[in-house]
Amino acid sequence: MEQTKYLIAGCSHAALSALNSIRMLDQDGSLTLVTKDDHLPYSPTVLPYIVSGQSKPEKVKLRDDEFFAQNKVNFISGAGLSTLDVDNNSVTLQNGQEWQYEKLLLATGAAPAIPPIPGLTDTPYHVLRTMDDAVNLHAALESAKSAVVLGGGLIGMHAAENLIKVGVQVTIVEMRPQVLPGYFDAEAAKIIEQTFIENGVAMRIGNTVVGAAPDGEGAKVSLDSGDEITADLLLVCTGVAPVISYLEDGPVETDQGILVNDCMATNIANIWAAGDVAQAVNFYSGEKSVGGILPAAVEQGRIAGMSMINDPAINPYPGGVPLNTYGFFGNQAISVGVSDENALPKDTEVLLNVNEEEMTYQKILIGEGCLLGISGINTDFDPGIMWQLVLQRVDLEPVKEEFLSNPTDTGRDLMSRTWR
Amino acid sequence: MPDAALTNEPKSIVCDGNEAAAWAVSLAKPDMVAVYPITPQSSLVEYVSQFIADGKIDADLMDVEGEHSVMSVLHGACLAGARTYTATCGPGLYYMFEPYVRTPGMRLPIVMSVVTRDGLTPQSVWGGQQDAMMLRETGWIQIYCESVQEVLDSLIMAFRIAEHRDVMLPVNICHDGNYLSYGVTKVFLPEQEMVDDFLGDKDTNWHVALDPDRPMSVDPLTGGEGPGGPSTFVRYRQGHCAGMQNALRVITETHEEWERKFGRCYAPLIEEYRLDDADYAIVTIGSMSGAGKDAVDVAREQGQKVGLIRVKTFRPFPMEALRNTLTKVKAIGVVDRSVSFAWNCGPVFQEIQAALYQLKERIPAISFIGGLAGSDITGEHFARVIEATGNQLAGDMTESPVWLNENE
Amino acid sequence: MGHSHNTIAFHQDKCDGCGECMTVCAGAKSGTADTLHSRLKIVPSIAANDSFELALCRQCGDPKCVLNCPSGSLTKNHKTGVVPWDAEKCVDCLLCTVGCAYGGITYNAAAGHVMKCDMCDGDPACVKSCPTGALEYNRSAEIYNNYGELEDLFVPGLAACQGCNSELLIRHTMRKIGSNAVVATPPGCIAGMGTVGFNGKTGSKIPVFHPLLTNTASMLAGAKRYYNRIGRDVTMVALAGDGGTVDAGFQSLSGAAERGEQMLYICVDNEGYMNTGMQRSGSTSFGSWTSTTPVGETLHGKTQDAKNMPVIMMMHNCEYVATASLAFMDDYYEKLDKALAAAKRGMAYLHVYSPCPTGWRIPSESTNEVCRKAVETNFVTLWEFAPDEGLRFTHSTDDPLPVEEYLNLSGKYRHLDDAQLTHIENSVERKVAFLNGFMLATSDDGAESLAQ
Repeated sequence: MEQTKYLIAGCSHAALSALNSIRMLDQDGSLTLVTKDDHLPYSPTVLPYIVSGQSKPEKVKLRDDEFFAQNKVNFISGAGLSTLDVDNNSVTLQNGQEWQYEKLLLATGAAPAIPPIPGLTDTPYHVLRTMDDAVNLHAALESAKSAVVLGGGLIGMHAAENLIKVGVQVTIVEMRPQVLPGYFDAEAAKIIEQTFIENGVAMRIGNTVVGAAPDGEGAKVSLDSGDEITADLLLVCTGVAPVISYLEDGPVETDQGILVNDCMATNIANIWAAGDVAQAVNFYSGEKSVGGILPAAVEQGRIAGMSMINDPAINPYPGGVPLNTYGFFGNQAISVGVSDENALPKDTEVLLNVNEEEMTYQKILIGEGCLLGISGINTDFDPGIMWQLVLQRVDLEPVKEEFLSNPTDTGRDLMSRTWR
Repeated sequence: MPDAALTNEPKSIVCDGNEAAAWAVSLAKPDMVAVYPITPQSSLVEYVSQFIADGKIDADLMDVEGEHSVMSVLHGACLAGARTYTATCGPGLYYMFEPYVRTPGMRLPIVMSVVTRDGLTPQSVWGGQQDAMMLRETGWIQIYCESVQEVLDSLIMAFRIAEHRDVMLPVNICHDGNYLSYGVTKVFLPEQEMVDDFLGDKDTNWHVALDPDRPMSVDPLTGGEGPGGPSTFVRYRQGHCAGMQNALRVITETHEEWERKFGRCYAPLIEEYRLDDADYAIVTIGSMSGAGKDAVDVAREQGQKVGLIRVKTFRPFPMEALRNTLTKVKAIGVVDRSVSFAWNCGPVFQEIQAALYQLKERIPAISFIGGLAGSDITGEHFARVIEATGNQLAGDMTESPVWLNENE
Repeated sequence: MGHSHNTIAFHQDKCDGCGECMTVCAGAKSGTADTLHSRLKIVPSIAANDSFELALCRQCGDPKCVLNCPSGSLTKNHKTGVVPWDAEKCVDCLLCTVGCAYGGITYNAAAGHVMKCDMCDGDPACVKSCPTGALEYNRSAEIYNNYGELEDLFVPGLAACQGCNSELLIRHTMRKIGSNAVVATPPGCIAGMGTVGFNGKTGSKIPVFHPLLTNTASMLAGAKRYYNRIGRDVTMVALAGDGGTVDAGFQSLSGAAERGEQMLYICVDNEGYMNTGMQRSGSTSFGSWTSTTPVGETLHGKTQDAKNMPVIMMMHNCEYVATASLAFMDDYYEKLDKALAAAKRGMAYLHVYSPCPTGWRIPSESTNEVCRKAVETNFVTLWEFAPDEGLRFTHSTDDPLPVEEYLNLSGKYRHLDDAQLTHIENSVERKVAFLNGFMLATSDDGAESLAQ
């Protein structure tokens, strides 16, 4: 059995962030990074750009062999976790290797959740979660003229835009009443949907897919409205679910994902979890939830790594905050924190500025003098500063007028004075 | 000052004790000489400075701003590996005292002439041994010379004694201000090659050094009640005492070797003069011994069975040699050129009293104090000393101390 | 990691909000004068009138923008310290801007991309353009790195009082000088903290010794002369307190300076005999409480001004004389380099003001603040002097803060009455005037000032 001090399963943002924290204090302790993927680390977020051809697979790797050599990282690809034996502090990999660890981080991420649509399993379809998915989809574009995208979330929207940019006729089907729920309210979503329509994307919002079937080389989907859509490509982007199958019947506590405390530790000694696989506390509700937010994965990975190395500078995870930056057709949509006041107490202050002509939108939510959320389209603010204003519950009362009229400069002023 | 060419140095010259000392320094080849003038030492450092200026001595001359720095620069140089020399006396010595007392504790083999001068105060610029006698418990080796030739020879020997690995201690060669410093006589100069051979390579900082090639801490805080503190301190003190005791043997061996090489013989510790059949003896130290010996000769001619004991090495105190000598006589009179205020006698007398305690039979002794502040101790004085000392044998005791010059 | 980098420092008190930096940055990076393209942003402060705040990339050591980037377009260059942005790899997702809490990487709508400061390859245009000195390219990291790579020549665990910065001083000084040196630490705080060691155990890796309080310069001079004689170039260093320098050790130092003995003599001035219980020294300042100038019914601290030792040393044939304060380490390092060069020719004297948290009754965490305020109020002046170059101030004495701002920081001045305060104010002014006069008479800078 091989031995390693630190074993990290997964190699995307949470894993790399944890690695970074560990190497801050322990430059020499043996560290092994295992991933089921065959590639050097990359981010799932970049995959739509691989699909469109804007980015090339070899250009988007987050770390390379030189980095691993410099940082004394034993990088094992093509071998995800198969089983976990918490009594022996050991794992088996899909390649048959057995590894004993002193500290284990589970950052195995999430995989596409495939909806139970009748006929779908017999229908050729694509997903977009791995580099191989993206490369396959990019290759399929050569012959494809049309595509249907199931799901109006971030991946689906990104994919749709990138497909239409290379000349593919695209339809988006979203069963919920708006795109990008959770990040933008209906009004903002409307602006985004409108832009897609103007750019030639067919939007089928509020439509449920009730069936799928092969159609020649392509696919045919049936909607609850009775409509049928045929396309050369079927892309399923209906969300993701944490990869936790290797924990089945084991003692590590899971719900939707792996349950962790505010140091990203699981209920089992010497095991941590971070990123999309982890179910960590939410900043607003205090409840534990899963969420595929990249900056949150980075933050969780950082805290997990610090906890694994007993870094005295560690601060507990403040809780997940919805964060999103979304560029579409040259526009920028950004949201930090809560975007829908309907979920908030009645006395929440709401400032809304919408200019449909200019295609600008901005909403600021303030409760008890603190920023609860800010979202905007083609408006200007620094999301990193806003995130800190939310987390640190900075009192905005003295500068509220200025903040509502100019969140950018006021935010910078507050930052410079408060935590510069 | 003789203006002898380097290539043709005279075998003998006529000079005073200060110049003889300068010649000894030139022959001993120190790396550094630090100087600061003070009467009656000044001409000594002037000679040395001129020798260095003339290239006779290849040494660094450090003419510093006071005796305190004189000894301090020698500490630094010696810790770096240099063979070093200086000379002082009187108030200069008192001013030097702080680094002076530190020298033997660091086991630095520095050689220094004390051109003895009487103490302050009253203000006095003349000879006397009060300054040198104040140094008794500082842990330096102290050798007192009788003649100009002995000044020269002893000073060369001093380097060998100081650097001997069984000793590693600083040495004072004391020569009396006025009488030896300015007394002119003929002296023989040893051959340079023979002196080189006699002294060998300098060996000054093998045991303690300020040298980046051998980094060490020099004189860290030692003692206190912490673990190992008392025992470490005691080991330093024991080592110092052992070095002093070793010095008695090394001084003796060095004088024997000197005699073999250069043909001049000196008693290394205690000199006995006409003592073999003597009933009593006078005890002297330094330059007065010559006059004392003459007085003994005169008394002998008059039938007195008197001899003379000269203390040459005063530190370490040659207890065993002195005890052996004292057993040969039945009464003594000790002539001092300085004062022990506490004991109301001369310091040499005071110390010899301690030696007398170790004799099987008690013998009477008188303390004479003379030659203070440049005054002479004449044959007449010694005649009084001899008479009073001898009278003790008949039970005619004299109350100590006897102030020889009190009516002059 | 373990490596520091130079930074652009912002001195808010000097910024008048002119915005020239933003115009210049936009010009340098985008070829337009439109400040929308500026990578640093000066914003007016809402809290205070006529005050300005700054948003600028910090080139973080552990940058979150890099960890957030999904496309590999942001990296941390550990060599230069800069976080460069690669436009080719960027997919304009803006996730980097979420990671940055400083507004350091921002979306430039006009360009359609994010933008951030790249430090102009170590020669930032904004700094050069700033007319008030509010922006400074601080090279201290570079200096600290250089020092960090040098070997620490003292043992760990020297027992200096909490908050005392003398340990920092001696460690950094000896790192720079290296092991081919002989170090004298006469009785005082530096020896007391264990540099020479105890009971047969040493406190350093280099030859180190206790001289007497009185003979530091002489012992070093003797050792140096001998090394010169045998052709070895060994540096002599004194790390002495003010008692061992201005009082008991003064004569040997004076003599060594007059003779041009080659050494670096550093006086670490904590204005009294602090190691032995905070007694008055010749360097104790007027009005100070010490244990021998106590405060009572009739006495109210020291009744004389301190001996102005560095000025005295200027008159001593030294090759180099300078004052320093550890709140200005860059300044000290420069002077140390010059002093080391000068010590090869003769006496180099550095006088370092070193507040004593224990004896001055200041909180241990405020030592550096006391150092800084001493200089900013002109209580301590920073200057250097070389015979050929005259006197030059290395920190301006213009527009000092009121000296009370310095005095109020130390308990040893707590009892001062108005008359004492006036005395100190006058004496500070006199000292500065004297130095200015000396500067005008001796240096090129002074000659220029006179010509104007």
